[in-house]
Amino acid sequence: MSESDSSPKIQTTIETGDEESRHAPLNARDTVIETRDLDVYYGEEQALDGVSMEINEHDVTALIGPSGCGKSTFLRCINRMNDMIEVCRVEGDVEFGGKNVYDDDVDPVALRRKIGIVFQKPNPFPKSIRDNVAYGLKIQGYEGDIDERVEESLKRAALWDEVKDQLDSSGLDLSGGQQQRLCIARAIAPDPEVILMDEPTSALDPVAASKIEDLIDDLAEEYTVIIVTHNMQQAARISDRTAVFLTGGRLVEYDDTTKIFEDPEEQRVEDYITGKFG
Amino acid sequence: MATEETTSDQLGQSTALRIQQLKGQLFEVALVAATLVGIVSLLVLFAQISNDAFRPRTASSTWFLVYFGTLVAPTAAFTLYARRRPAVRTANALAFAAVFGGLLLSFVTYVVVDALSPYDVFIYAFFASLPPVLVLAYDRTTDERTYTGPLIPVSIIVGVGVAALVDGPISGPLGVAAEWIMYFGLVTVPAALLVAWLTASRRGRRTGAVAGGVVAAGGLAVAVASIAAGVDASLPIVVFSAFAVPTGYVTWWSVKTNPEGRVGIAGPFVILGGVLLGASLVDRLGIESPDSYLTPTLILESWDGLTASNAGVYPQIVGSIIIVGFMAVLAFPVGIGAAIYLEEYAPDTGLRGRLATLLEVNISNLAGVPSVVYGLLGLALFRRTLGFGTGIVVSAAGTLGLLILPIVIVSTQEALRSVPNDLRQGSYGMGASRWQTLREVVLPEAIPGTLTGTILALARAIGETAPLVIIAVATTKYSPPSGLFSSATALPLQIFAASANAKPEFRHGVVPAAAVVLLVLMLLMNATAIVIRNKYGRTN
Repeated sequence: MSESDSSPKIQTTIETGDEESRHAPLNARDTVIETRDLDVYYGEEQALDGVSMEINEHDVTALIGPSGCGKSTFLRCINRMNDMIEVCRVEGDVEFGGKNVYDDDVDPVALRRKIGIVFQKPNPFPKSIRDNVAYGLKIQGYEGDIDERVEESLKRAALWDEVKDQLDSSGLDLSGGQQQRLCIARAIAPDPEVILMDEPTSALDPVAASKIEDLIDDLAEEYTVIIVTHNMQQAARISDRTAVFLTGGRLVEYDDTTKIFEDPEEQRVEDYITGKFG
Repeated sequence: MATEETTSDQLGQSTALRIQQLKGQLFEVALVAATLVGIVSLLVLFAQISNDAFRPRTASSTWFLVYFGTLVAPTAAFTLYARRRPAVRTANALAFAAVFGGLLLSFVTYVVVDALSPYDVFIYAFFASLPPVLVLAYDRTTDERTYTGPLIPVSIIVGVGVAALVDGPISGPLGVAAEWIMYFGLVTVPAALLVAWLTASRRGRRTGAVAGGVVAAGGLAVAVASIAAGVDASLPIVVFSAFAVPTGYVTWWSVKTNPEGRVGIAGPFVILGGVLLGASLVDRLGIESPDSYLTPTLILESWDGLTASNAGVYPQIVGSIIIVGFMAVLAFPVGIGAAIYLEEYAPDTGLRGRLATLLEVNISNLAGVPSVVYGLLGLALFRRTLGFGTGIVVSAAGTLGLLILPIVIVSTQEALRSVPNDLRQGSYGMGASRWQTLREVVLPEAIPGTLTGTILALARAIGETAPLVIIAVATTKYSPPSGLFSSATALPLQIFAASANAKPEFRHGVVPAAAVVLLVLMLLMNATAIVIRNKYGRTN
């Protein structure tokens, strides 16, 4: 119900470009994800060191930092994608809606249905566009009108107009940017609460990347978005809050994006942001 | 320093550069030579074998002229016409698959069912297919989510078990019914259902039901006509259902969807018609045909070790097909299952991980173990331990199954490994379980590679001789195997035995002719593998 009338709402946001309205109730927002003293090891090697942070609902939270600083690891801890790596060991808490996702009674499959993920490299399934978007609905046994949800998700991913006449052709026939938007449509179709994005634009050309950026802005209306990026301008443009990870898997600073980019507390963060290293 | 030397001088070829290039060219020549040596020696071998089998030099030149006029010239003309018209080629490829695939299917089905007794095959097929159909029907009737999926394979196994129990009591009373009724149930009913389902998915339920009904009615009409003409209706029914129905369906489909290329449907008929017309002309005009050993007698009669022109390998062909077919039933589920476990489920670390690695290494080694050794294994396992009779179908199929098992496992593993990890990650990220990821994403991607590998394994198995010699499969039998526990023989064994025949016309005529038959069987399998690979390769 609420989703079907969501697209006009997105439209108005674009037209007015009303950034402030989204920032205004910042303090009033609830924490949706909270980590406490999160340590992650790959075998002997420590990838995250005592990361504690709170992520607000309907925020776009950017994770930035140099390569190998653990930001992707952090992202993948949230929906337990790290479970797939056998040598990976997680200590500490990741709370989602007040529940530690590493508790024994949490099923990672159920968790990932609440927390969707979009990867760096567009990875549509070798199926039709329709089946790609419907994938999550089918595996979750969705009983409503699948075609309607497919259309709605593609519209929300700003892809509908480009593909509406070729829903039965393969998702692999699309261009790279379209494939990534298809992956986003696929991730939002089952209506998760949080969307994780692992450098979603780094494999794309600037035009395609800017389309994805616009899209992320719209998605924050309904979802909590956590995005890993290498591109500091991108983090500055699209995020509400920014977390800076530096080497050794430590969270160095986490604050409002404007604060981080204009007046960071730490000298190292300022050096990183101004390009003195990284 | 070198002020005299201008840039344009430096662009010229120095001696050192020239020598380097010469080296590269020499290497290329050596590679071409190596390729040619291999291919030419194989071609010479095949030419020799076919020459001995066909003996084209014994034919009169009129014979060649007749076939050139009826077969070669029209085929060449048609090929030239179709070459630049993609629509025609598409229709042609479809028609080829339907016509020759249909002919092959009819032949194999009839021959195998006839050998194993149509009553028994019908009982097994009925009991094996009824339970899954009932399960699926139950699934359809309820709107709620049912969890009947795992029941389907279980129900098939139970059905086969039930069939084994009731086969004895039922086959007696069932024997009252004519044989063609069994064939009708075995071939026409599935063909009708398939046509109904295909049509229904494109044209709606009503048309589908009508189409299925037309096929069934056609089968009955063929039976009635055959009985009226005084011939056994079995073979006509099989040919109608497995050849005429697919050909008709493809023709109708091409005319509907590809009107531009519908001439292409004629392709296979140009060849078939050419062969038939040529044969009838040669017969009527009394033209001297080649004194070939590759005759209908060779393919349709049983063995005669005294007169080469009477020798046939029909029981051997049927034996090979039944052995390899049953072997596939035994080895494929086990091999593909093992590959899926090792590749998708087995952990990389820990005790179980080390065990899986050990298994994988050993399986790769087993793929290279000589086939004689597998023969010894089969002898020890089936003859000594299980006490099976000498040279029965089950032992032969089991031994060959063990032989190809590592090949099936390794090729399936390769196919699974080639599925990009991104896709698995994507699926898990959507909240799919491991089983859902496997079924929805990984297996569909791995099917072409798996099928190619397994069919090539079949082609390897059909030519194996040594293990069959070791487990004492008879070289010569005068009737095809009548069941899985009856003794059988295989084509390569007969070739092996006949190559020691004292009469030169056996060694230089029947043996190469039988070898050509074996090669054709193997090439048909390889062609199937290639068709499957290309079909899946293109959709992605």
